[in-house]
Amino acid sequence: MNDPYQILGVSENASDEEIKKAYRELARKYHPDNYHDNPLEDLAQEKMKEINAAYEQITRERASGRRSGSSGAYGGGASYGGYGGGYGSYGGYQSSQSYSGQASVLQQARIAINTGNISRAEALLANYPDHNAEWNFLRGAVCYRRGWMDEALRYYRTAVQMDPGNAEYRAALDYLEGTDDTAYHPGGSFGTMCSGNPCLSLCCLWALCNGGGYWWFCC
Amino acid sequence: MRPPLELLAPEESSRFRRAYCGLCHALGERYGPAARMILNYDFTYLAILLSERTEPDPLRSRCVSSPVRKQAYQPASPALELAADESVILAWWQLRDGVADHGFWKGTGYRAASRVLLGAYRRAAELRPDFDRHVRDCLDELSALEAEQCPSMDRAADTFARILQSAAATVDDPVRRRVLEQMFYHLGRWIYLVDAADDLREDAAAGRYNPVALRYGLTDGKWTEESRQAFAKTLDQSVHMIATAFELWDFGVWRPLLENTVYTALFAVGRAVLEGTFRRRSPKRREKETQEG
Repeated sequence: MNDPYQILGVSENASDEEIKKAYRELARKYHPDNYHDNPLEDLAQEKMKEINAAYEQITRERASGRRSGSSGAYGGGASYGGYGGGYGSYGGYQSSQSYSGQASVLQQARIAINTGNISRAEALLANYPDHNAEWNFLRGAVCYRRGWMDEALRYYRTAVQMDPGNAEYRAALDYLEGTDDTAYHPGGSFGTMCSGNPCLSLCCLWALCNGGGYWWFCC
Repeated sequence: MRPPLELLAPEESSRFRRAYCGLCHALGERYGPAARMILNYDFTYLAILLSERTEPDPLRSRCVSSPVRKQAYQPASPALELAADESVILAWWQLRDGVADHGFWKGTGYRAASRVLLGAYRRAAELRPDFDRHVRDCLDELSALEAEQCPSMDRAADTFARILQSAAATVDDPVRRRVLEQMFYHLGRWIYLVDAADDLREDAAAGRYNPVALRYGLTDGKWTEESRQAFAKTLDQSVHMIATAFELWDFGVWRPLLENTVYTALFAVGRAVLEGTFRRRSPKRREKETQEG
């Protein structure tokens, strides 16, 4: 069992305010919004539970005026201050539509995506003849999980064009297009087109070594 | 990839240098002095990401790059050895790719270099047969995509991304392996796409396959503002995946360097490429700059 102070990265002498600040920073980092549909989402959820439990233990112990050492019970998962909540309407790929006959294939594809079986989802979608809005959305989800971000964007866009009123498709597209705005960053802004002066990096390029390799894929 | 030296404390820059020199020594010890020519920053990052959380006590020695003053370097470790073996295999197949892509005269340099590296490659392939096979298969796939002028930049980038991803296949801890595979995949995607973007003009002039040009319909090798912004976003999505994976593993002493690389240096290089202010130096030009500076 780990020390809750260590989990939050603060000393035992830290003030309540410092602990709260450290907790909020970690919670921002591992927040579900930062790991939406991420292949490592499960690991982030574990981290979030650990952080929540550590924070709860510290606040409980401080409130009761004592520190119980490492005897506190873990395995919580409760959230604090609005963090650690669910994914809202955009999670879980819940089928919102029902088709007769072929509908079950799309539902199976959703289940396969949810359980991380991307190859199966891909195979199911490949054999599905009706390339409707939901099919495009699910293809987008498969691409996103694979890391094919540009393809995901194109499928999500098509899904939204075909069914503009669908909140699920819109949310997926908004999330992908808004990465720069929502992504966690330890300070400053996130994004290639809002990065600082590139010359800072380049001017030190050859300062490191007076020799070294050169390769076509070295950038 | 480039280390963001200007953002690092001196001890972190030195740590990167010790890894760089450590990989150079590992290449030299395992494959002879000629293998050191393949050393670059990408391979150094590969070694660092595969390294343990702590750094062993450094050794010191003189070398070709520093014949007078002894330089500190990381002693041999399983991570450096793995990175050295995988670097030799990657470098070999890239050279063979260069031979295939260029005509007789232009391919001379690639042929000569691959001849020098042949013995090293054979030994590395014997040590890491699975990795070697995987690299070969993925590059064959990429050649086929190039031949059919595949317009999907994700599909083309996927071949290179999977090559890097497989560099973590032998990592024991399952969580660490998942984290590294995700980081390597998106680093590979990012490197491939940035490289293609950097080659836009050259490829347009030579009539060569360029998946970024095909994706955005850039016939003359010039960006439109809309395509530049869209491309930056797709790069950022990969950086986001790298960053979210990075935060799920404790990289120990390497954290400051990696954090600055992930959250700052990748953006800076991507932006420089997109603005046309970034060019790789040719070996000849680099040599000249080194002599001057």
